[in-house]
Amino acid sequence: MHQKEQLIAELSTLLGPKNVLTDATALAVYECDAAPSFKALPDVVVFADTAQQVSDIVKLANKYNAPFIARGGGTGLSGGMLSVQGGIIIALNRMDRILEIDLENERAVVEPGVVNLLLTQAVQNQGYHYAPDPSSQKACTIGGNIAENSGGPHTLKYGVTSDHVLGLEVVLPDGEIIEFGGTVEETPGYDLRGVLIGSEGTFGIVTKAVVRLTRNPQAYQTALAVFETMDDASNAVSTIIGEGIIPAALEMMDSLVIRALEEAFQFGFPLDAEAILIVELDGIEAGMQNQTDRILEIFKQYTAREVSYAKDEAERQQIWKARKSAFGSFGRLAPNYITQDGVVPRTRLPKVLRRIAEISEKYQIPIANVFHAGDGNIHPIVLFNERDADQCERVEHVNMEILSVCAEVGGTITGEHGIGVEKMDYMPLIFSRADLQVMATVKDIFNPTGLCNPGKIFPTAESYAKLGLQPDTTGRF
Amino acid sequence: METISGTLHDKLRDIVGEAGILPETQIAAYTFDNCVPKAVVLPASVREMQDVLRFAAAQHLSVMPAGAGTKLGIGNLPQKVDMVLSTTRLNSVVEYEPADLTVTVEAGIRLAALQAELTKHRQFLPLNPPYADRCTLGGVVATNASGSLRLRHGTARNQVLGMHVVHANGNVVKSGGKVVKNVAGYDLNKLYIGAFGTLGIITEITLKLAPVPIQQVILTTQFQNIQEAVDTGLSIVRSQALPMFTNLFINSRSNLRPNATCISEKTPTLVVGFGGDTETVRWQRNHVQTIMEQNGGTSVTIREGESCQSLQDAMRKFPEVNGTSDDRIIAKVNLKRTDIAEFAQKAITPALQGLIPKIPEETGEMMALLGSGVLYLAIPIASVTDFQPLADTLTQLRQRAMAAQGNLIIEAAPPELKRHIDVWGSVGSMRGLMKQVKAKFDADSLLNPGRFVSSI
Ligand SMILES: Cc1cc2nc3c(=O)[nH]c(=O)nc-3n(C[C@H](O)[C@H](O)[C@H](O)COP(=O)(O)OP(=O)(O)OC[C@H]3O[C@@H](n4cnc5c(N)ncnc54)[C@H](O)[C@@H]3O)c2cc1C
Repeated sequence: MHQKEQLIAELSTLLGPKNVLTDATALAVYECDAAPSFKALPDVVVFADTAQQVSDIVKLANKYNAPFIARGGGTGLSGGMLSVQGGIIIALNRMDRILEIDLENERAVVEPGVVNLLLTQAVQNQGYHYAPDPSSQKACTIGGNIAENSGGPHTLKYGVTSDHVLGLEVVLPDGEIIEFGGTVEETPGYDLRGVLIGSEGTFGIVTKAVVRLTRNPQAYQTALAVFETMDDASNAVSTIIGEGIIPAALEMMDSLVIRALEEAFQFGFPLDAEAILIVELDGIEAGMQNQTDRILEIFKQYTAREVSYAKDEAERQQIWKARKSAFGSFGRLAPNYITQDGVVPRTRLPKVLRRIAEISEKYQIPIANVFHAGDGNIHPIVLFNERDADQCERVEHVNMEILSVCAEVGGTITGEHGIGVEKMDYMPLIFSRADLQVMATVKDIFNPTGLCNPGKIFPTAESYAKLGLQPDTTGRF
Repeated sequence: METISGTLHDKLRDIVGEAGILPETQIAAYTFDNCVPKAVVLPASVREMQDVLRFAAAQHLSVMPAGAGTKLGIGNLPQKVDMVLSTTRLNSVVEYEPADLTVTVEAGIRLAALQAELTKHRQFLPLNPPYADRCTLGGVVATNASGSLRLRHGTARNQVLGMHVVHANGNVVKSGGKVVKNVAGYDLNKLYIGAFGTLGIITEITLKLAPVPIQQVILTTQFQNIQEAVDTGLSIVRSQALPMFTNLFINSRSNLRPNATCISEKTPTLVVGFGGDTETVRWQRNHVQTIMEQNGGTSVTIREGESCQSLQDAMRKFPEVNGTSDDRIIAKVNLKRTDIAEFAQKAITPALQGLIPKIPEETGEMMALLGSGVLYLAIPIASVTDFQPLADTLTQLRQRAMAAQGNLIIEAAPPELKRHIDVWGSVGSMRGLMKQVKAKFDADSLLNPGRFVSSI
């Protein structure tokens, strides 16, 4: 980036010096997200307060040919907000106003920096919530959720972020402010709203969103079942879905996770269990017991050792606390970890989990599993020490083999965390050059200069080499 | 490419064989807006589809992608009609593992045929657009057609997991995948869904499925006025009951009968359906009946089993028109649900009064999908000769809808009306980007030229 000093001076004039960070220690906070194996230092971090300011910042970035990247909560797990080519990080945490709540129409209009859980808390007394519930919901923002098309435990029944966002206000990479979709369910023309959601911040910066609010269910039933083997637990999962029971959530944790959780928080789980399933039904109270009974039978069929129910809301919260604390406990298992995010057809879960255990064995790298089993969305947690070069190399192989298995069985390499910088090398496992070329075409329409969040999603020549594939000499890939 | 000799049909026959060309006597089924295509081509494989598109590109022939042709009438007047390219011979189930609750099919499969297959496993695709028995899945997805079930299950935008699309240049590309969650790369499924074939021809689709509810019940009731009916419907939507649909009929007539005699011609009729297991359904039935009665609903009727299906089938036909006879106009108004009552009473009713020759009392037949904020309006036009006043009225209604953050799309109309009005309306500040998307995907504008928004 040329003329960095002038750019910073202009940013300071625009936003006031206190909203512009250039100090090295201050910038260090912004060098990574929640996937700390990847790091890059921005040249400057700015805090925006309005869409107009974002637009002005983006125009300045264009003037100085500086890359710019939006940042929400910084909880991303694929390095999406990394300033890999330096430039400006636009922090959106101050744009955290809930602008409108319209319960009659079950809608809210929010700024991008609103923390996911705070939106739910704003409406829960009136019996509503915002359905997409990433396990990071205490810290991640609606803007980040939109960029990643995030899911969560309750995605199984309620769908992902894209299913809950109707309209967007976006500052395009040239600084223009444009509205996509709307307040109503359908607008004429191409669904550019849908294309923007999940574009990992490479199509512009979301400055406002119209989202759906969801009525809280009348009743919940939450149970926790302990299994002797992962096979049994995962067979139980596909049997439940196959029988036409769609729980609100169906989550699995393996023995390593159970152990880590116990060491860190003492929830009282049996340390010798191979797998725990958390199942939650929600909806109308009448008749719910029948479904619970049926699930119990399925658990028995797969020799669940014990099943316990949440008897009240406090116990239910306790179960979910265990699930949502899992990530916080991995520090006990190893100094570093990478969270994989493949998705496989639910019927392939037993096979895929077995393969992952084999991969772990082969490379002598421990892998823990805590994941959205009902969706077939696995999260193998690859545990290692980044100071050990040999381990790091083995981890590379582990990642590659896990994602290859997902691709082989007809799955995908990321279900909710995004490609970012972390998985761009693996894109050729699931997309042909022609497929990627179409994506690049769409990117060029939104982001022709490439300054908006560069260096993400698309594989490079090295990626192809890494996979043992020939890079394309004529085209872009 | 070498110069073309012989007729268009001969050349096409070289690519797709005799069986791949619809006999001229049957082409009438694919006419729209008074345009008769020069040929209707039915490729038997994706390869043939690619070859036909490459041929068309070389010859600068326009291509109307089609399934069974049920919705070809949607859109502005075409700039050019050379050939219709139909997917109906690409109609097999590619992959179906019931326990995964997903299915992959070729785009030309009829929705009804797919549902019949899924029913065997007590599953279904929760989409119930009009033209139930004839429409193809590719057509449903390309037009993002939906029905009343969208209240609980959404539309194709919420259900499609992945697809294969042949672009205008003949390239086959894949978007999305086959699993229920996937954020690898951009979500280009969304671009093709509802693009009306202007960006490519969909050849394969993977979708999420749902289990068939064990039991279904439909309650109907009548109200003194529209506002009461809407308010009651919306209370039900927001209650702890989980209705599959909440449809309101206003000025209901002709085409719903004889299967739906419970729907009154004179008074607004609310139709609410739900499903689940026996106990769940029983609780909802009681709960909803109470809400209906407390809010002034009269003559509540309850249907179960077989008669539920026949009523659902009848309601689903509401936005249909009879082929080329063009006996009615269908407009779809997207609104905030709380604006529906006012729009029906204060906008539509006065605007239509006295407008239709010979039936001055006509104020339009309406079906509102209350929970989804969709209001379908049907206007009989058999007696209309001058379409300008009707176009002006629709323009006014559109402006009113837009002032309330909504929009109005004309889904079916004769070419005489389309000469006076853009069926889609404005796409606002998104126009530039949409035009660019079209230009990049189909540079020579071969696919459905002129029929989509902003003259795309
Ligand atoms: C413990 C833990 C558990 C998690 N569990 C889940 C889970 O269950 N499900 C799930 O889906 N994810 C999960 N995640 C991942 C992460 O929380 C999500 O991806 C989340 O949506 C990121 O939001 P954020 O605000 O932190 O975004 P950031 O990390 O700040 O940014 C993520 C990406 O979004 C872009 N971005 C941010 N704001 C905007 C904006 N306004 N406009 C355009 N682009 C923007 C950034 O440029 C970046 O590319 C988890 C993460 C952690 C650490």
